[in-house]
Amino acid sequence: MPVAASAIYFLNLRGDVLINRLYRDDVGGNMVDAFRMHIMQTKELGTCPVRQIGGCSFFYMRISNVYIVIVVSSNANVACAFKFVVEAVALFKSYFGGAFDEDAIRNNFVLIYELLDEIMDFGYPQNLSPEILKLYITQEGVRSPFSSKPSDKPVPNATLQVTGAVGWRREGLVYKKNEVFLDIVESVNLLMSSKGSVLRCDVTGKILMKCFLSGMPDLKLGLNDKIGLEKESQLKSRPAKSGKTIELDDVTFHQCVNLTRFNSEKTVSFVPPDGEFELMKYRITEGVNLPFRVLPTIKELGRTRMEVNVKVKSVFGAKMFALGVVIKIPVPKQTAKTSFQVTSGRAKYNAAIDCLVWKIRKFPGQTEPTLSAEVELISTMTEKKSWTRPPIQMEFQVPMFTASGLRVRFLKVWEKSGYNTVEWVRYITKAGSYEIRC
Amino acid sequence: MTMHGMRGLSVFISDIRNCQNKEQERLRVDKELGNVRTRFKNEKGLTPYEKKKYVWKMLYIYMLGYDVDFGHMEAVSLISAPKYPEKQVGYIVTSCLLNENHDFLRLAINTVRNDIIGRNETFQCLALTMVGNIGGREFAESLAPDVQKLLLSSSCRPLVRKKAALCLLRLFRKNPDVVNVDGWVDRMAQLLDERDLGVLTSSMSLLVALVSNNHEAYWTCLPKCVKILERLARNQDVPQEYTYYGIPSPWLQVKTMRALQYFPTVEDPNTRRTLFEVLQRILMGTDVVKNVNKNNASHAVLFEALALVMHLDAEKEMMSQCVALLGKFIAVREPNIRYLGLENMTRMLMVTDVQEIIKRHQAQIITSLKDPDISIRRRALDLLYGMCDVTNAKDIVEELLQYLSSADFAMREELSLKAAILAEKFAPDLSWYVDVILQLIDKAGDFISDDIWFRVVQFVTNNDDLQLYAAAKAKEYLDKPAVHETMVKVSAYILGEYSHLLARRLGCSPKEIFSILHEKLPTVSTTTIPILLSAYAKILMHAQPPDQELQNQIWAIFNKYESCIDAEIQQRAVEYFALSRKGAALMDILAEMPKFPERQSSLIKKAEDGEVDTAEQSAIKLRAQQQMSNALVVTDQCPANGAPPAVSVGQLSLVKVPSMVSTEDHNSTDQSLSQENGTLSKVDSQPPSADLLGDLLGPLAIEGPPGATVQSERNAVSGLKGVLDAVDGSAIVPVEEHTNTVQPIGNIAERFHALCLKDSGVLYEDPYIQIGIKAEWRAHHGRLVLFLGNKNTAPLISVQAVILPPAHLKMELSLVPDTIPPRAQVQCPLEIVNLKPSRDVAVLDFSYKFGANMVNAKLRLPAVLNKFLQPIPVSAEEFFPQWRSLSGPPLKLQEVVRGVRPMPLPDMVNLLNSFRLMICPGLDPNPNNLVASTTFYSEHTRAMLCLIRIETDPADRTQLRMTLASGDPTLTFELKEFIKEQLVSIPTAPWAPVPAPPAPPVAQPTPQIPANDPAAVLAGLM
Repeated sequence: MPVAASAIYFLNLRGDVLINRLYRDDVGGNMVDAFRMHIMQTKELGTCPVRQIGGCSFFYMRISNVYIVIVVSSNANVACAFKFVVEAVALFKSYFGGAFDEDAIRNNFVLIYELLDEIMDFGYPQNLSPEILKLYITQEGVRSPFSSKPSDKPVPNATLQVTGAVGWRREGLVYKKNEVFLDIVESVNLLMSSKGSVLRCDVTGKILMKCFLSGMPDLKLGLNDKIGLEKESQLKSRPAKSGKTIELDDVTFHQCVNLTRFNSEKTVSFVPPDGEFELMKYRITEGVNLPFRVLPTIKELGRTRMEVNVKVKSVFGAKMFALGVVIKIPVPKQTAKTSFQVTSGRAKYNAAIDCLVWKIRKFPGQTEPTLSAEVELISTMTEKKSWTRPPIQMEFQVPMFTASGLRVRFLKVWEKSGYNTVEWVRYITKAGSYEIRC
Repeated sequence: MTMHGMRGLSVFISDIRNCQNKEQERLRVDKELGNVRTRFKNEKGLTPYEKKKYVWKMLYIYMLGYDVDFGHMEAVSLISAPKYPEKQVGYIVTSCLLNENHDFLRLAINTVRNDIIGRNETFQCLALTMVGNIGGREFAESLAPDVQKLLLSSSCRPLVRKKAALCLLRLFRKNPDVVNVDGWVDRMAQLLDERDLGVLTSSMSLLVALVSNNHEAYWTCLPKCVKILERLARNQDVPQEYTYYGIPSPWLQVKTMRALQYFPTVEDPNTRRTLFEVLQRILMGTDVVKNVNKNNASHAVLFEALALVMHLDAEKEMMSQCVALLGKFIAVREPNIRYLGLENMTRMLMVTDVQEIIKRHQAQIITSLKDPDISIRRRALDLLYGMCDVTNAKDIVEELLQYLSSADFAMREELSLKAAILAEKFAPDLSWYVDVILQLIDKAGDFISDDIWFRVVQFVTNNDDLQLYAAAKAKEYLDKPAVHETMVKVSAYILGEYSHLLARRLGCSPKEIFSILHEKLPTVSTTTIPILLSAYAKILMHAQPPDQELQNQIWAIFNKYESCIDAEIQQRAVEYFALSRKGAALMDILAEMPKFPERQSSLIKKAEDGEVDTAEQSAIKLRAQQQMSNALVVTDQCPANGAPPAVSVGQLSLVKVPSMVSTEDHNSTDQSLSQENGTLSKVDSQPPSADLLGDLLGPLAIEGPPGATVQSERNAVSGLKGVLDAVDGSAIVPVEEHTNTVQPIGNIAERFHALCLKDSGVLYEDPYIQIGIKAEWRAHHGRLVLFLGNKNTAPLISVQAVILPPAHLKMELSLVPDTIPPRAQVQCPLEIVNLKPSRDVAVLDFSYKFGANMVNAKLRLPAVLNKFLQPIPVSAEEFFPQWRSLSGPPLKLQEVVRGVRPMPLPDMVNLLNSFRLMICPGLDPNPNNLVASTTFYSEHTRAMLCLIRIETDPADRTQLRMTLASGDPTLTFELKEFIKEQLVSIPTAPWAPVPAPPAPPVAQPTPQIPANDPAAVLAGLM
């Protein structure tokens, strides 16, 4: 098993240690000073998440206003370390009720120490699943087995939970109303040239589920992906539907999915954990439906004037609409004055990020609002540096739209008691790094 | 500050202060910069108030470390504002944001000038401050006269004139060529009559700069400086505000004394007397008091006074007074003062006559060696090291040895090195030296570098008297229970070589010695085992009559190590095993080591490399050269090719006061000579070698060591050219006036000779540059590439390379760049065409500038005759007809060459082959004769076959008969001379004409060790 960490530090943005845990003694306690001196106080902060200083490697990540730093001196598995951090943050969030920031850490020192002890042992990651950990690490602290009465809840048997056949689900759950929520969340990454040709484009999606189901239900999920449909058409010996089939790459499943059945029958069937979890993740590189097209024209008129024209076209269905659309059009650092004309939304100049920020709260499909702006620049001493023209960035959310075209064909729930369930399915597409060169 | 009312600014600053982290701060700053940009771009223009406010904000942002690359126009325009608050910010921001090269400054010059010549004093001050801060060339050109006027104006207040003086100083420092200082002598003199101490202090700073540039012009200022000093020392007319803790303006005192140090001497007796009175007063009046500030001030004055005393070469009495005062200082409890005392005493050592006086404080200095503060201990060590000479060496070295066992680890290495050097330099007798070094190894084995014990071995090997003593000592140390590995190495070597001398003593039979040594074998590392094996082989060889048991034991060990994984050990074991079976023949092969050729003590070299070249340390070095222990030096044989021993005086130029160098130099030589004379009676039987360029010193030529010192001095002075000339055979080294402070690394002549035989290598190297060469030769064409490599992190400038080709070579050097960037290498190809045969050598005149040093080197280029030779084998059928057809001079020349360097025939064959003369064996029936052939290429002769026959005399190797034949008379002659040059041993120094007969120098040519001599092979293995 790969080593993931010799020590883990939680720092605030100023570089003060909020909390730390040393798992091995091969790194000194003062290594965090090196981090502060050589990474936090230099301009390199944020450029490279892995840095090596004095024989130690630092892996760091910023989550809201906290830096999480992992220090190792051996040749550690970086991916494992980062995965550990991400999972640990998710765990903390589920314990703290959603927020993970400096204040949350300050308020939960004892709990965090307890969790840190549990989730990593001598640098090796352990069980990070919140469902399991919540069974025996409780907010109230340690409970003595003598003082507690045999309660209505059965005393959890941690060993059985971890080693049993269905380690992720407790037995004997009962809900009055059996409900399943399924969200398909996709984020589109795009890099487009100024001429409009796509340089790089992919969609990373995940299927999130929330289950409130009694007993030990067995669920089966059908998507319009290629493998599943082909399998089905073979089984039923009839040609596949003319509808689009989606080819999913790099699919990873939650541990509850029965992989043997997936391999043999090509169906996603699983016994879900209770509550929220991420069922699967996938990536799509071909046949992506781009929700927006951006057509920028930026003209530099001499040294002190620029003309910016940006047209944004929504190419999803007219009945749908995008929310929270933000278009950031970079301008040179010496921008002094700006004037705008927009057909919808609002635009302003943000000096802190050197961008014209154009916000459209509700953006219906099949429309094309435009922005035209005049930018005046101030003359500077260093004339020679020409402006590098960074790409235009876009943020948005389009509900009920999937850039991949993925659809849920069926979601079946089977339980031995045979109760009825209500299934809810939602789709949403967000912008990942959606960039258009100008 | 006129911040009142600028609410926007204070809000901004408090926003920045409230930022939790850097990122928030950056966001706030960027936002504000955007705001400022918008404001500056506003068509309606800004009110002066707004402009002022935003420019202050810009300055604040700039001070936080962000780039501000706009708004300079606004800042500059504020300078011309009529009101003080705006003008102030304009000046401040301009001097912060702009540097001297900005074009915007041109816009301001006129306004600044108006302010300077204007009537408003505050504006004048602002302008002067800004000009001083920026100090650009254009400012200097257009404003210096006005500033000068201001400085001298009688109507100005002292405040303005002070600033004017400082502003002018800055302009002068930045652009000494622009500021016109002609006729300033009188004005400076006039300024020095000023009563106001503030103006005087500023003017004195200016004077220091002017005088450092050109002291001769300002000699009229000298008496005035003394007068000022006198006024201060007597505390006459010093206002209260310039008295600091009762000391009248210590700043002015220090500056005045600094200025005085730039004048070479004080000639006027009255002035001199007054000055000494003042100095006396300072020396007498300074004492250590409780108050730290007062101490600081009075010590600053005192130490400057000490420097001045040293500079003025004061009378002995005064010097001794200084030393006495310092002696008081080093006895004080307060560590800072003690440190200063020790440091200045070390500095005082520059002045040699105080040495005796300093010695009085030796006990106190030794106490300081035990100070809890390490910096004081280091100073004390330096001082002890510096004050050591023949008389007190024994005490000091013993003290150091004693201290070694308690010294902390950080210092031990330095300490042991210094002790070793002192022991080597000032040893009263050699057995003491051996004692000291062995003790040193015993006490601080871990800190003893190999150089130290190599040196002992060298001395023991070279001094027959010492061998018995050293062997006895070595055995004594080995008998101790715990022995350091270095000690094992030394002892093994010494016992291996010389234990047979002990054989008659009790417990020193070969067998016993062997068992003592062998006991250590399991404890040592692989580097020591080879030495032990050599020792065993030697013990075995010396065991007479052969001891069967010992032999079996040793053979068993050799056998065991024959399969050792370490190649060195394995090889020795195999070879010694095989050799030791040869019986009596062993005696010849394992003979005693030959004497080592004398070379510069690697220790001293190391010490030089390691030391920082500060003034005091070079002074120590200077003294180190003056007083060499004759015990060691005289026994050193100077080999024929010996590099000059000891160190160069070149470092002298680093001594703080340059004007002292020349006098010091002569003093040192004289003094060391007299010392050597005084101890000459101790000189042992070995006379000094004639290699020294001692004849330059006439009657003193017989003293070895001083001559050597002189030689190195001469070399240092005459620089590279001297070396070249010396190699060419003339010992009269032209002494040039300029001093080349850069010493070449390695022997240039040796490098040249090596390059004559091979095609690539280093031609020249000094601390700054390395010149490498790579050559290709094809028939009469040659292509030579010069690699000029800058070894430094600073560029070399004014690089020039000029080829001075002889008549027979056509050479074209491609363009050499003027500057070599830091750590860069430049290649300069050089095309060569050989026109006709000649032995003349092309010279590369190379010069460059590093910092203030101009370095010039004349280097011979290895485009020599043999490069245009092509070896060609000839058969008997080809040879004899040719040989016969070329009959008689001038095509065939014969000469009997005498004084040939004796060498065995195979060596001569190798030598000729290396010059591309192909030896054709079997053509001549007489085995003592050599026949060679080669082809010579030149434009004039084309390819020309040359035939050579050399007849040697086995009875007398120093003479031979040489016959040469070729189709060209010049070629025949030149080639003959060329080969002759190579064969004849050219003495590296001529015989010294000795006027005084008592000890005629006897040449001691180093025994030429042929490469196949087994002893030499063994020596190589050591």
